[in-house]
Amino acid sequence: MSSLNKQHKIYDVIVIGGGHNGLIAAGYLAKAGRTVLLLEKRKVVGGAAITEEFYSGFKFSSLAGGSGHLAPDVVADLNLSQYGFQILPTDPLILSLLPGGNHLTIWHDVNRTIQEISKFSQADAEAYPNFIQWMRKISRIVAEMNNIIPPDLPEVGLNNLKELYGFVNPVRGLGWKHIAQLVRILPMSISDLLDEWFQSDIVKGAIAASAIIYSSLGPQEINSTAYTFLHNWSISNTDLFRSSGQVKGGMGTLTQALAMAAKSLGADIRTNAKVIRINIQDEKAVGVTLANGDLISAKVVISATDARTTFLNLVDPYYLDPKFIRHVNNIKYQGTMARVHFALDTLSKFSGLNERTEQLLSGHIQIAPTVTYIQKAYDPIKYGSYSKQPYLDIQIPTLSDSSLAPEGNHTMSVTVKYMPYKLSEGHWDELRETIGQLVINTLSEYAPDFDRSIRHYKVITPLDMEQVYNLPEGNPSHGEMTMNQFMWMRPIPGYAQYSAPIDGLYLCSAATHPGGGVTGIGGRNASRQILKNLK
Amino acid sequence: MNSKAKRYDSIIIGGGHNGLTAAAYLAKEGRRVLVLEKRHIVGGAAVTEEIYPGFKYTVYSYVVSLLPPRIIQELQLPKHGLHIMPLEGAFTPMEDGNYIASYADEDDTLEEIRRHSKRDADIYPVFSNMMYDLARAVRPILTMIPPNPANPGLEGLRTLRAFGSHLKSLGKEKFYWLTKIMTMSAYDFLSEWFETDVLIATQAQIGIIGTFLGPKSPGTAYVLLHYYLGELDGASSNWGHQRGGTGGVSEAIASAARSFGAEIRCNAPVEQVIIKDGQAVGVALENGDEVYGKTIVSGCDPKVTFCKLVNEKLLPSDLVDAISKYKFRGSSGKVNLALDGLPDFPAMQDKALMRAMQEICPSVAYLERAYDDAKYGSFSKRPFMGCIIPSTVDPTLAPPGKHVMSIFVQYASYDMPTHGDRDQQRESFGNAVIDTLAEFAPNIKDLILHKQVITPWDIEQTVGITEGNISHGELMLDQLFFMRPIPGWAKYRTPIRNYYQCGSGTHPGGGITGTPGRMAVAEILKDGN
Repeated sequence: MSSLNKQHKIYDVIVIGGGHNGLIAAGYLAKAGRTVLLLEKRKVVGGAAITEEFYSGFKFSSLAGGSGHLAPDVVADLNLSQYGFQILPTDPLILSLLPGGNHLTIWHDVNRTIQEISKFSQADAEAYPNFIQWMRKISRIVAEMNNIIPPDLPEVGLNNLKELYGFVNPVRGLGWKHIAQLVRILPMSISDLLDEWFQSDIVKGAIAASAIIYSSLGPQEINSTAYTFLHNWSISNTDLFRSSGQVKGGMGTLTQALAMAAKSLGADIRTNAKVIRINIQDEKAVGVTLANGDLISAKVVISATDARTTFLNLVDPYYLDPKFIRHVNNIKYQGTMARVHFALDTLSKFSGLNERTEQLLSGHIQIAPTVTYIQKAYDPIKYGSYSKQPYLDIQIPTLSDSSLAPEGNHTMSVTVKYMPYKLSEGHWDELRETIGQLVINTLSEYAPDFDRSIRHYKVITPLDMEQVYNLPEGNPSHGEMTMNQFMWMRPIPGYAQYSAPIDGLYLCSAATHPGGGVTGIGGRNASRQILKNLK
Repeated sequence: MNSKAKRYDSIIIGGGHNGLTAAAYLAKEGRRVLVLEKRHIVGGAAVTEEIYPGFKYTVYSYVVSLLPPRIIQELQLPKHGLHIMPLEGAFTPMEDGNYIASYADEDDTLEEIRRHSKRDADIYPVFSNMMYDLARAVRPILTMIPPNPANPGLEGLRTLRAFGSHLKSLGKEKFYWLTKIMTMSAYDFLSEWFETDVLIATQAQIGIIGTFLGPKSPGTAYVLLHYYLGELDGASSNWGHQRGGTGGVSEAIASAARSFGAEIRCNAPVEQVIIKDGQAVGVALENGDEVYGKTIVSGCDPKVTFCKLVNEKLLPSDLVDAISKYKFRGSSGKVNLALDGLPDFPAMQDKALMRAMQEICPSVAYLERAYDDAKYGSFSKRPFMGCIIPSTVDPTLAPPGKHVMSIFVQYASYDMPTHGDRDQQRESFGNAVIDTLAEFAPNIKDLILHKQVITPWDIEQTVGITEGNISHGELMLDQLFFMRPIPGWAKYRTPIRNYYQCGSGTHPGGGITGTPGRMAVAEILKDGN
């Protein structure tokens, strides 16, 4: 094919943004025989799911970490294991550190966890298996809900009925009782939900912390945190409330595998290719304009960026109804986390951990001793300040994957909450040191020699997340996970079907149903919807 | 036949306004009705008492709103003494000496808002219209008998269908706003409309009343809407004073009930419901008397109804379990003052606002801090307050030249362990209220002749509402509609045949609305009782 022809090639589909959802949509559409071009503005694809070497020889999962809860059918459909994607298992799920050297461990094995819990409360140990059994059923319903294209409520057409049947059928066997409970639980706070089951503050703290990973809110807030708890469960790879495992080589390996899969299925991927405009003709998306002036045509454009970027930056507002723009402006982002990465000489000793230390530290390590502790970490952000006693979610990936650091050294990645994107005073660029030191000090209460093991650290603030990783307001879920931005309301009411008010334009990122986490469900659902419409 | 042996058609436990409303409707249908109230006066949380000689306090509640015109009309309440005098509006002093006010006349209100922001003044009428639209959209839902989602039955499915087509009829845009208002925080919701912080604060405070939530807590936008519902029907049902105090509302309903033939007995605390063969047949009073009736209706809160008045063992264990999870969380207290004269708010330019509600909610952050101060088991150091001086419009409440001030205060926890014993807690809480009020009305301390301080615990002790929550339980999504008080038992019935519930713990919830009482009667009649 001559280069001239190539310029005039009309793709079936252009995907804007090479985050995991964009890559997955590209992969699925290429697999269905469509010609696909994916455009990534950074020099590397992956979006928020990448591996970066912040310090020579030490590799980190910059934002998303752990195993990334990619939906199993996405892994299978795109043959990812063939492209180097592998999850290294970890157990325990959670090690919750307590002041004074005590700790609570939550294992994959429910019985083993019961024994752990019985150290704190016999009643809770007895409640735990029932809790797990009950919530497994309810989260299965949520998992099935993740897989459908949301109905356009309040109108439910025949088309939706078919889609809804796909959801109802698998969960029918669970009985109305569980569906009724889901309706009751969904708008609750995780704190209230756990109060219904458990007595020990420590047990409740350990579970609640996992619930608010994808929430901007505190564990006592309703209409949000029980929902994010169930969301986590519905996407987890453990059939528990938290995923476990590490992507071998860090999260970048996952998105690289996705890119290789998409390419091998025929998709073109171009990096350093910043889209500045979605071109519209006769009210229909017909392609994109790049920052270098290139015009590329396509029958369909999918934006894997968030809704605000898509509709306020890439689309000429002329084509949009003011009511629609108002809904876009009303999307709540409010990022509330920072990431701090440490390159460590050695693994510090944590107080109270004697045997099997390395195994105990291989999962999620939480500093979130009680629900009140987490809620108090949340309170300051309402006034535009950050927590002075933050909730930390820590991973030491080198314990399962020694390739990430020089021999004997370790990497540690910490998610820090709550850190509001909007500060009432000060600027994030001046607070990097402070946040780094805050994390070091907090950790030192549990590992007194920690600061001596640090060779280098890197702080990623909510502002960095926006400026470097293109996540507006530093929210990795492209919008808060709350009931008002749930399902048929996500990302914009009336357009929750991965669609837009402009023909031929679609969305597929975490901004769409079912939201946050490296699940790929948005990308997959969107490609299904597009193929249905392209027929 | 002596009165002890007299058999009633219905016995109502608790003479709060919902119990009285149920009694009135049942009596109106020709039923022989007996109301049993444990205190010396009817009214429950809506009573007026002369605690300090010459001064009449509206002890627990403060304003009248939400009473639907339909109930006023059907029970002919004006004939029985209902006389609501609308409030002049509201006055909110700010920390910088400025203020914001609202008036009965919308043009005056807009002018006042314009003083703060032209943009907000322009959008305010659009906002109010939308709120009334949404209130109208919700109102039919409030009177639908909630189905049981776990076992809807034919009737339930019909209701669900009616519910579905009602939502469709709203059109998409209104439906979206409804979804948002049902789930968001008052602050987030209002911020989509307004830019003036103090204006948002004056609206957001409506969303926190009676809940243990802050203006930034999701769920509070719905409570805001709940209160707009009370304002739907024109100026007459604006927030107002009842002549003679809020107790006058209860007395009007009681008088209506009596006029239809109901019997009301005070000082008659009920010990428990008498159950024979799984069926409620009467009640046993604390004094040992027994009274028999075909149906027993509890106007008490869900915990009292299910766990105190009947033996838990007679109930399904999942119901007992669900009731133990029911969230009460009393969050508000009351301070009633006898004053030697009118307080002076330096920020108040227009003295007519003395007849308005004086709201201490100078900013959103102020309200949020009040919540944060209290939520871990304390009271707000600087609380949110809604003050009214009903004696400015109703001279019967205080001696000439003197006044009563009725202060609704939020937040106070039911348990405040860090403040000593219950007496010390009450004392410190009362001091915080007066000290804060003095920041905005400096002469208040010199005027106080008598002070009555009521904590949530006090409300529980006197009125009998669990944890002192005036709404008989939090108005949260998981405790609303078909889940109020608990899923499966939202239709005013109980697992015990002929035993019904009609308090604010049932759909549609708190406020002096009488609606739970009225709707419970519809169900009782449907059962042929």
